[in-house]
Amino acid sequence: MTDIIIPNLGNEISEAEITEWLVGAGEEVEEGDVVLLISTTKTALEIEAPVSGKISQINFSDGDLVQVGDVVGRIE
Amino acid sequence: MPKNIPIDPIKTFSKSVLKSSGIPIHQYQKSIQEELKIYGKENLIELLRHMYIVREFETMLNSFKTKGSYKNIEYIYNGPAHLSIGQEAAAVGSAFALKTEDKIFGSHRSHGEMIAKGLSAINNLSRNKLNSIMDTHHDGKLISYIHKNFNNKEFNDAEMFLLTGVLAEIFMRELGFNKGMGGSMHAFFTPFGAFPNNAIVGGSSGIAVGAALHAHLKQNKSICVANLGDGSTGCGLVWEAMNFAAMGQYKNLWPKPFNNNPPMLFCFMNNFYAMGGQTLGETMSWDRLSRIASGVNPEQLHAETVNGSDPLSVADAVIRKRNILLEGTGPALLDIECYRFSGHSTTDTNAYRSREEIKDWKSFDPIELYSQKLLEADIIDKKNLDNIIEKVQNQIEILTSKVVDRELTPSIDITKKPTIIGDFTFNKQVNRISKTANDLLMDINQVNQIKNMKKKSRYGKTIDGSLLSGMRAITLRDSLAEAIIYHLSNDKSLIAYGEECRDWGGAFGVYRGFADIIPMNRLFNAPISEAAIVSTAIGYAISGGRAIIELMYSDFIGRAGDEIFNQLAKWQAMSAGELKLPIVLRASIGSKYGAQHSQDWSSLLTHIPGLSIVYPATPYDAKGLLASSLKSNDPTIFFESQRLYEKVEIFNDKGVPEEYYTIPIGKAVKRKKGRDITILTIGASLYPVLDASEELINHKIDAEIIDARSLVPFDYDMLISSVNLTGRLLIVSEAVERGSFANTIATNISRFAFNNLKAPAIVIGAPNWIAPGADMEKTYSPQTDDILDSVFRDFFPEKRVNKKGLRKDWNFLELAKKGL
Ligand SMILES: Cc1ncc(C[n+]2csc(CCOP(=O)(O)OP(=O)(O)O)c2C)c(N)n1
Repeated sequence: MTDIIIPNLGNEISEAEITEWLVGAGEEVEEGDVVLLISTTKTALEIEAPVSGKISQINFSDGDLVQVGDVVGRIE
Repeated sequence: MPKNIPIDPIKTFSKSVLKSSGIPIHQYQKSIQEELKIYGKENLIELLRHMYIVREFETMLNSFKTKGSYKNIEYIYNGPAHLSIGQEAAAVGSAFALKTEDKIFGSHRSHGEMIAKGLSAINNLSRNKLNSIMDTHHDGKLISYIHKNFNNKEFNDAEMFLLTGVLAEIFMRELGFNKGMGGSMHAFFTPFGAFPNNAIVGGSSGIAVGAALHAHLKQNKSICVANLGDGSTGCGLVWEAMNFAAMGQYKNLWPKPFNNNPPMLFCFMNNFYAMGGQTLGETMSWDRLSRIASGVNPEQLHAETVNGSDPLSVADAVIRKRNILLEGTGPALLDIECYRFSGHSTTDTNAYRSREEIKDWKSFDPIELYSQKLLEADIIDKKNLDNIIEKVQNQIEILTSKVVDRELTPSIDITKKPTIIGDFTFNKQVNRISKTANDLLMDINQVNQIKNMKKKSRYGKTIDGSLLSGMRAITLRDSLAEAIIYHLSNDKSLIAYGEECRDWGGAFGVYRGFADIIPMNRLFNAPISEAAIVSTAIGYAISGGRAIIELMYSDFIGRAGDEIFNQLAKWQAMSAGELKLPIVLRASIGSKYGAQHSQDWSSLLTHIPGLSIVYPATPYDAKGLLASSLKSNDPTIFFESQRLYEKVEIFNDKGVPEEYYTIPIGKAVKRKKGRDITILTIGASLYPVLDASEELINHKIDAEIIDARSLVPFDYDMLISSVNLTGRLLIVSEAVERGSFANTIATNISRFAFNNLKAPAIVIGAPNWIAPGADMEKTYSPQTDDILDSVFRDFFPEKRVNKKGLRKDWNFLELAKKGL
């Protein structure tokens, strides 16, 4: 089981908004696939699947605010 | 959107040889008969006459410097005279090839170039145009002086206007082109295309490129020339400027019709010596100056080495380069080899070169050679030649006799108007925003980043008073963006650039989304050339444009030191207000990246006279002050703090207005009323001070907080009236304490509010050492506890509160004694 985590977003930035999940729970993903779009006050970012597997959990919905380090989803 | 210049690894790693083509050296071969056909007799003779004028003019200066007299005129001239005796063919040949609207920028040794450019312009301009230039310059004062003092029939009034304007400038008289505020090394007269000369070696290179960028964006079919010395090939700015003019993006990425290079000619007046250092063979690595071009671009800047002892060879080269530049395949470089017979300055003892060498070059005296050529070809006869020489001598003698006369041609009387130089420093003009931008790529309101901002709350708190996230409310970053995009999307004369400004949106994201709106020719990534970024903005602005430039971290100010300290700050005053520099320089005070990325250098720049300096701490102020800075015609340094980009508006309960508005530069703002102590904050220190003030209330100390917002000018009125009531002043700034602007304010308040002070004014700054890395940063910038400790220790010792800050036991005097 591997967490999808909000990475460090740069100097003085601590939070981000979930712009859009590109995958849903239960979907299969390959390592490196873009699974999630987030935006910070400064920029927009693509989050990739850290491993291949099935999305087993999605913890935040589009539009939610998340903090750096938050586990936003899981891959099994 | 990525730019789409793919870097292909296969191609990258494939084997090949990088080729460069040859650089022509002294290839000019035209005969005088051919030249006669091209220019006609009259022009060829004019060239000679112009060389004589330049020579005589400088001979006169030399004579004053070395003997205190010229002919029968006695005068002690105290200023500098970097003469170009021996280099006249370079100056005159080049000017002859240029059009009036072409701009030249010179060096410390540019009297000759400026005079030659003026003489050429006078020959090319219609009488009507000439009259209107002369009648409007300084309200017609100079031209009426000319008409009063010189016989119109005997002397061409426009030439007398030019020569008197230059000489009076050199002699620091009010009739000088810049009222004597520039002097010998900074003289210029823009209507004739003679733009500022520059006493900083290489200083003109970037300024000229900025002017060329302006000509390019205006598509006005003129070129810009930087006349530089060979010594300047050792200057970083010169290299930066060559690259800036040659950048690949013009051709590769800029939209039509701007998809070619700015019309920029680097003209090196190569006299083989700096002062005493010999460029060829000693201080420089090149074997031929023109070789430097082969390092710049595949076209090798179309470089050529030409014979600077022959005006026709120089003119031929400049005409050819000019054509190339107007086709858009520039920039170009000319290495004009010539020799100065005069010393570097008039105190030069020529210790660095031999008599033999000087003698050898005497047989290449351009005036001798060219006179001979014209005589031999029967273009002029001896009698006519003598006649020309005599007339030139008379011309220089008579105008000199008038200019040296202090009654007739006085200097500005500084004793009568002691602050007049101050009056030249800022023009205080506010520009009306022109609605000229017809080049937008997309409707602003369709751009995602802008749409996202529109969804946010304008105020930073919810109805129940809790703080909103920067994702939900307008941040300081957003408010900067709103001010800038308003100006960029209205005013087509405004350009924005800096490192990583376009696709990246600026290192701190202020420009995000702008690349979808503003075409590349007005918003672009600059090379990592801080000096050229500032320098080109100056050239762009003095040509009539407006610029907002970004230096990313304020720590990089050092890389643009001269351009900020000596150029941006000084040209308005050095031109007696003739030049305007509507430039906003954004510099972001960093955090978390350690010693070279976290310094508040606002005090460094407040020390330099001539710059407006603002440093807002809230979103509302950031937007309004940036709008004012962009409207201002004075050069403005706009400090931002990376600690504040995420801040939402908590002071103005209507939030940050969506509409455009301005906040006057020079007005502070009261953040909290109080009666026991005034705490002045500069920039980001507002926030720890706010926290401290809440704690102070528990100790029955009611602090008044004033946020400076503007440093130059600073709102002394608000501060003095506050201190008059509280009797105590603490100033908190993140700049290092030693030499900080906060100390200047403290001193002034000690003076102007002395009677009401109950204690000396105290400054808390950063300690006088490096900013440490992220985890240790709180030991550096003043923290809430440091502020509280100071209030209790320095103002209310009777409160007997335990001190908690890192500095609580510091012996400030001992530290100061140690240089810390
Ligand atoms: C930045 C800077 N460094 C040094 C000087 C002092 N200085 C004035 S002229 C000069 C030599 C310049 O040589 P070059 O560029 O070849 O021009 P030339 O004097 O030969 O015309 C020097 C070192 C200066 N004015 N500016």
